[in-house]
Amino acid sequence: MTEVVKDYDIPFGPAHPGSGNFSVKLKINGENVTGARADPGYLHRGFEKLMESRTPMQNAVLSDRICIFEPLAWNLVHAEAVDELMGTDVPERAKYIRVIMAELSRIQSHIIWYGAMSIGIGFDTGFKLAFGYRDYILDIFESVTGGRVYPAGYICPGGVRKDLPSGTREKILNVLKKADKMNIIEKLENPILLSRMQGVGVLKLKDAIRLGATGPVLRASGMKTDVRLDDPYEVYDQFDFEVPTLKEGDAYSRYVIGIREIEQSMKIVKQALDELPDGKVREPSLKPELSVKIPSGEVYIRNEIARGEAGMYMVGDGTGKPYRCKIRGPSLLHMIPALEHLLVGSQIADVPTIYWSLNPCPADMDR
Amino acid sequence: MSTNLNGKEIAGKIRRKFPADVKVQKERRLWVEISKAKLPGLCRYVKGLGFEHLSAISVTDLLKAGKYVIAYHLWSYNDKMALTIKTEISRKDPVINSVVTIWGKSAQIHERESHELFGVKFTGNSDLSELFLENWKGPPPFRRDFDWRGYVRKEYYDRENEREKGYWEADA
Repeated sequence: MTEVVKDYDIPFGPAHPGSGNFSVKLKINGENVTGARADPGYLHRGFEKLMESRTPMQNAVLSDRICIFEPLAWNLVHAEAVDELMGTDVPERAKYIRVIMAELSRIQSHIIWYGAMSIGIGFDTGFKLAFGYRDYILDIFESVTGGRVYPAGYICPGGVRKDLPSGTREKILNVLKKADKMNIIEKLENPILLSRMQGVGVLKLKDAIRLGATGPVLRASGMKTDVRLDDPYEVYDQFDFEVPTLKEGDAYSRYVIGIREIEQSMKIVKQALDELPDGKVREPSLKPELSVKIPSGEVYIRNEIARGEAGMYMVGDGTGKPYRCKIRGPSLLHMIPALEHLLVGSQIADVPTIYWSLNPCPADMDR
Repeated sequence: MSTNLNGKEIAGKIRRKFPADVKVQKERRLWVEISKAKLPGLCRYVKGLGFEHLSAISVTDLLKAGKYVIAYHLWSYNDKMALTIKTEISRKDPVINSVVTIWGKSAQIHERESHELFGVKFTGNSDLSELFLENWKGPPPFRRDFDWRGYVRKEYYDRENEREKGYWEADA
């Protein structure tokens, strides 16, 4: 009577509740995954091409959409590329505000990660908890940038679009206190997560480097590296923070790295708020410059965003629009080679856990 | 851990071995220009120097010069240095050696993307199948001379439709 179901295909996504706009075609034998082939492209909007026909101010708004989970971080990458090509001297106060916003963006992105990972392993409470706490940070984004999710190019070439409204410091400190509570709850739920995540999806350091993993994924496999520390940009060299690293390389250690990074980001935000200098927030003025010329030249910008290394290669040719703009998102390599590598040989029930432990974002993969 | 090298030292090492144009743009940013023929040798050499992480491969379409510039953006975890290797290939016959044997699977995906969007052929890369696009029949869409506005208008807007007529008139 017993019949073993062998060799069948299951598409994980694009309509799976835990997959986002992305699909991976799985080959299954019984309960085991024997093959995985990533199928990206559901969110390919061609930003690199679109940017060639737009001015830097328009591109600042466009850069929001590169990653849905952390638009401010991508704003910063784009603004830095234009600033460096144009040789703009960004005011000190703007640099601090950029760091504060980028770190808050990292915190809320890691909170989403926690939520998504919880739903991936069937722990719905964690999901609701995370999205509830994330909303407090979105309140800050709303009061500072005008948009809860998309800041519409708040971090723009030359600095930031406008200064922080009065009382922002207190607001941010209050929210950080609340988010601290979330850390306590996460520690309480730890045993549940542990049993589902420990030893699942182990990525060895050698493989992680070969597959091009960066950020928390690489750090969870034992490499101590962080662009903020190794290749400092803005004013990151002014702050005291640690780069958490673990050796195990499994889904659980990736999750732990995420939680520890939230703590470190809070530390950076507090320091930046304390040391925030006075002065201008945008060079040359707060008015948007509509007829800038990007000089000939090329730059490669690297930033540490929540998911890993973000890069932008921009070529200017003396006109008002970038000649070429290559966007390097961390998820491309996490979601294609790394994911395929980890899924083969795993159990079908662990697929969502492995998938979310890589903190993927289909938007920055497809661009 | 070996001792860390700075930009000038790495530039000197590359210059001694290869007829390449090496520039130190600023701290932690090195740019190298090299001919297509010498590229694989240089790539293998810098991988040995510690440039283990291939951050991205980008293609720039120099329409007027009839050339593609292929740029390999690398990072050394040991020396904390970003290195970009650039090489020019013909736009009419865009063929270049693959670096999959050097940087492995990460190079494979970057090359697959460049092949799809610019039509560059990477000899030695076994999987250059479609990545983002599906059943794409047109020319590589990221080339400078690809008219995406015209393409979108033709594919998605109906000239006879009263509400969509405007798109045809505005761009005509």
